[in-house]
Amino acid sequence: MASGVSGYAAISTRVRAMKADLLSAQDMARLNESPDFASLVAALKNTPYGKYLAGLKESDLTPRRVVFAIKSKLSDSYNSIAQQSPSESRPLIKQLYRYFEVGNLKAVLRSIQTVSSWNTDISSWDRVREVLFPFPSSSSIPAQAMVETGNVGGAVELLKGTPYESTMTFAMKRFSAEQNLFPLEVALDLDYWRTLWAATKRLTGKDQEVATKIIGSLLDMNNLMWVIRYKIYHKLSEEELINYTLPFGYRVKDEDVRAIASGADIASVISKIYPTLQDVNTLLDDPQTGLPKLEQQLKRQVMNQCLAAFYW
Amino acid sequence: MFFPKEMTEVELIIPSKDIVAVAKVLSGHGVFHQVDSTYLGLENLGPSAWQEKAGNYSALERRIQAIMQTLGLPEEYPTKANAENMVELESIRPAVSRIDEEVKRNSDQLSNEKKQVELYESQLRQLEPIADVKVEVGALNKSVYMHSILGVLPAANISRLKTSIGRVPHVFFTLREDSQKPVVWLLGPKSNSDILERAAKSAYLTPLSLPDELNGTPEQITATLKKEIEASKKKIADLEADLTKLGKTHKAELQQLLWDAHISRVMADAIVRFGQLRHTYVVVGWVPSADLENLTTKLKNASKEVLIETHTPSRSDHNSNIPVALTQNKWLKPIQNLVTTFGRPSYGELDPTLLIALSFPILYGAMFGDIGQGLVLMLVGILAHNRIFMKGLQSLGLLLVYAGFFATIFGFMYGSIFGFEGHLVHEYLHFDLHPLWISPLENILTILGFAIDAGIVILIFGYLLSLFNTIRAKDWAHFWFGHTGVVSLVFYICFLALLGGFLGDTAIAPKVAVAIGQLPLPFNILTPIFALGLMFNGLFRNMAEGHRPLVEGGIAMFLVTSFMDLFEGVISMLSNTLSFVRVGAFAVAHGGLSLAIFSLAGHEPDLGFWITIVLGNIFIIGFEGLIVYIQTMRLHYYEILGKFFHGGGMRFEPLKLNPSQEEA
Repeated sequence: MASGVSGYAAISTRVRAMKADLLSAQDMARLNESPDFASLVAALKNTPYGKYLAGLKESDLTPRRVVFAIKSKLSDSYNSIAQQSPSESRPLIKQLYRYFEVGNLKAVLRSIQTVSSWNTDISSWDRVREVLFPFPSSSSIPAQAMVETGNVGGAVELLKGTPYESTMTFAMKRFSAEQNLFPLEVALDLDYWRTLWAATKRLTGKDQEVATKIIGSLLDMNNLMWVIRYKIYHKLSEEELINYTLPFGYRVKDEDVRAIASGADIASVISKIYPTLQDVNTLLDDPQTGLPKLEQQLKRQVMNQCLAAFYW
Repeated sequence: MFFPKEMTEVELIIPSKDIVAVAKVLSGHGVFHQVDSTYLGLENLGPSAWQEKAGNYSALERRIQAIMQTLGLPEEYPTKANAENMVELESIRPAVSRIDEEVKRNSDQLSNEKKQVELYESQLRQLEPIADVKVEVGALNKSVYMHSILGVLPAANISRLKTSIGRVPHVFFTLREDSQKPVVWLLGPKSNSDILERAAKSAYLTPLSLPDELNGTPEQITATLKKEIEASKKKIADLEADLTKLGKTHKAELQQLLWDAHISRVMADAIVRFGQLRHTYVVVGWVPSADLENLTTKLKNASKEVLIETHTPSRSDHNSNIPVALTQNKWLKPIQNLVTTFGRPSYGELDPTLLIALSFPILYGAMFGDIGQGLVLMLVGILAHNRIFMKGLQSLGLLLVYAGFFATIFGFMYGSIFGFEGHLVHEYLHFDLHPLWISPLENILTILGFAIDAGIVILIFGYLLSLFNTIRAKDWAHFWFGHTGVVSLVFYICFLALLGGFLGDTAIAPKVAVAIGQLPLPFNILTPIFALGLMFNGLFRNMAEGHRPLVEGGIAMFLVTSFMDLFEGVISMLSNTLSFVRVGAFAVAHGGLSLAIFSLAGHEPDLGFWITIVLGNIFIIGFEGLIVYIQTMRLHYYEILGKFFHGGGMRFEPLKLNPSQEEA
C-alpha cells in the first residue's frame, strides 16, 4: 500500500507543480495584448517557457521556431511524467505522448506528398523538422530518413518494426490505389485511439474511472468532429462514416454516431448529448466558422474533466 | 566525486584557413561538448558550404552502410580514433558507386525474388481457409445474383465492418481467426454491391488478389504456388551466395570507405554548427576543466592564431545549460547506471552515486542476509562481470558483488548460512554459528522497529541533503518552503515526536521517534504551527519568488487545495517512514522462506534432503534475490532519491569520431 501511496504522491506533486506552471487567463490576456511578435516573445521569456526560448537569437525568431521551442516544454513534461508515473499507468501516459508521434508521422507523409511545390533552395528535411513535435531520440519513427526517401511507399517501408507497421501495411494498399493520404491518416487515427482506449481499460479501480472520463471525453470530441466533418465536407456514405469512427467514448454513444451517419439531424443529436451547449443549430448553419467553435466547446468539456481530476 | 565534473565554457575564434585542423582536434579527443554557435555568425554570408558538404557526407555514409547491410558486413570502426582521414567527397564517391552498382544488380534481383515468394506465400495463406472448397475461386466473382468479397482486414476493424453493413442483408464469415490478419468472406445481394464495396474498402479489407493465370480450385492453385515458391527459393539461394562472395571481396575497402565518410561527416557536422564570420569562425562549447589544458595545447598546435577564451561558471549559478559529465569510475559504473536511470544530476547538484554505492548494498544485504547465498551472489557477480557466466548480467556484475558482500556480512550478523540457522547449523553442517547481532525470525518486532529507525535516519539525511542542494543553488524559496525544505523537515520531526509519543513503549515503536519525542521541545505548539507552514508552503514560495498571483482560483479553492496538500504531505511522510519496514520484513521473510524449504526437505539428511536444500537455495537466490533487488531499488527511487535529488541535467555529449567511444 505504501508503494502505491508514495508512488502517486511523487507524480501527483510533479503534476500539480506543472499545473502551477501553466499560464493563467491573465497571463494569456497580457500576451494577447502584445503589440507585435517581438514583444510577445519578450513577454513569453518571463514565463516558464522562457528557458526554452533562451537559445533562439533575436533575428531567428520566427513563429514556427518559437512554436517549436514552446512544444519542447511539453515534450519535456511528458518525458518527466512518463518516467515518474507508476508502472500501471505508464503505458497510458506513453500512449498519450504517442499522439504527437502520430502527428509527426502524418506531417512527414504530407511533406513527402507536397514536396514538389516547395522552394528547392532548402532541403526537404530542413523544411519539415521545424513543424514536427520535438521528440527525443526515443521516437520510433525515422522521420529524416522517411522524408529523404521522397516517396510515400519508401517512407512507409521504413516503418517496419515500429508499432505502425501493421496499420500502415493495410492502409498502403488503399494509398497505392487512390494516391491520397486520407486512408493512411484515418487508419493511423483509428489505431491510435483504439490503443489508447485499450490502455485506459487496462487500468484498474479509480485510475480507470478517472481515465475513462478524460480519455472518453477526448474520444467523444474526436468521434463527433470526425463524423460531422466526414459527412459535411467529404460527403461519405453511412457505412464509411461508421467504419471511420469508433464505438466507444464517455458521453457519445455508438448509437449517436450511427444516428448522425444515417442522416439524423446533427444538431439535435449533439443537443441530446450535451444539453448545456448553446446555439448548436447556429453553429452548424455555417460549418466553416461554426465547426471550429463547436470543437472549442467540446475541448472545454475535456478540459473540465481534466481539471476535475485534480480534486478527486 | 560528490559533484559532476567541473566544466569550463570555451569560446574559440578561428581563422577560416585553420577550420578543418581545429575541427579535427575538437572531434578527435572526445572532450568537447559543442554548443550550436551559428547564431553568433553573420547572416548575410548565406548558407555555409559546409552545410551542403555535411549533407553529402551523411548521404554517402548511409549509402555505404546500406551496401554493407546488404552484404551482411558488420560496421566496424578502428578502436583508436584517427582524425587525419577527412577526405574530399569526390575521392571516395566513385569507389562507392562502383561497388554499389555491382551489389545492386544482385540485390535488386534478390529483393524481387523475395517479394515474389512473399506474394506467393501470402496467396497460399489466403487460400488455406478455403483449401477444401471444391469451387473455382474465379467463379465467386462471376455470380449473377451475389456479390462476394474474400480477403484480409485488420482484426480490430471486424466488428465495425459488421456494424456498418447491418442495414443490408449480408453473410459474414471469418474463415481464419488471426490476431493480426484474419481472412473473411463477405457475401450479399448484387443490388447492394456498392454498399458492400464501400464498407469493405473503408474497413481496410484487402480483397484476395489472385492473378488471372492462377485458375482452378484452391487445391490446384495451391499446388501451382508451391512449385513457384520452390523455384524462387532456389534462385534466392544462388543470389545470396553471390552476395556473400561480393562481401568477402569488398569487405576491407568498404570498411575503409565507411570510416572515411563517417569521420568526414562528423567533422563537417561540427563545422556546420560553428558561427561563421567574414574571415573567421566562432566556436562555443564545454570541456571538463581537467581536460582544458591538454585541449588548449592541441588547439594551439593546430592553429597558431586561434583565440581561446574560457569561463568556469560557479555551480550555484543558473546552470541548466551546462552539460553534466559524471566522474568515471569503473567500480561505481553499475551504481551510476542506477542513478542515471532515475535522473542525471544537474550541474550544481550533488551526485548521489557514492551515497547510493553505500546504501544500496547495505539495504540489500539487510534484506537478504545469508553467508552462503551472499557468497554465491558475489561469485555470480564476479563471473558475470568477467563475462564467464550469465553474460547478459555483465553490467550488473559488480552490483551483485557488492550486494553479495553485504548479504554475507548480514549473514554473519543474523547467523544464517544457506538457510541453516541456530541448531540446524550444528545438526546438519556440524559446526556452530551464532548470530553476531540477532536472528530476525526470533526477534521479529525488534528488527521491524530497527528498520523503521534506520528509515527515519535515512529520510532525515535525505532532507538535509536537499537543504544542502538548495543552499548551494541559493534557492531560498525552496530552502524554506520547498517539498523537502526547512518547514517540511521541522514538521516531519514534530510528526515523529507525535508518532513516538503515540506508540510509547510498544515493541514496534521506533526508538528514534521516541527519543525525538523526549526532547525538551514544545511539540504540541510546534506541530500545528509547522502544519500550517506545510499547508501554505505554495503561498509562501510564491511570495518568496515574487510569483503573482499569490492565490489562484479563489480563496475557497485555495484553502481546499492547501488542506489537501497538507493531508498528502502527512500521508506521504507516514508512508515514506513505514516504507522502510520492508527491510526488516524481508529479513524475516528470508528466514521464513528457508524454513519452508526445510519443511519440504524433511529431517533425514539423505540425498533427497540435500537436493531439496540445493534447489531451494537456487530458488531463494534467484527469486527472492530479484524481489529484494526490486525492493531496494524502489526504496532508493521513491523514498531516498526523491527527497533530495531532482536530476534533469543535460548529458555531456562530446564530439567524437568513433561511435563506440563511451561518454568521457
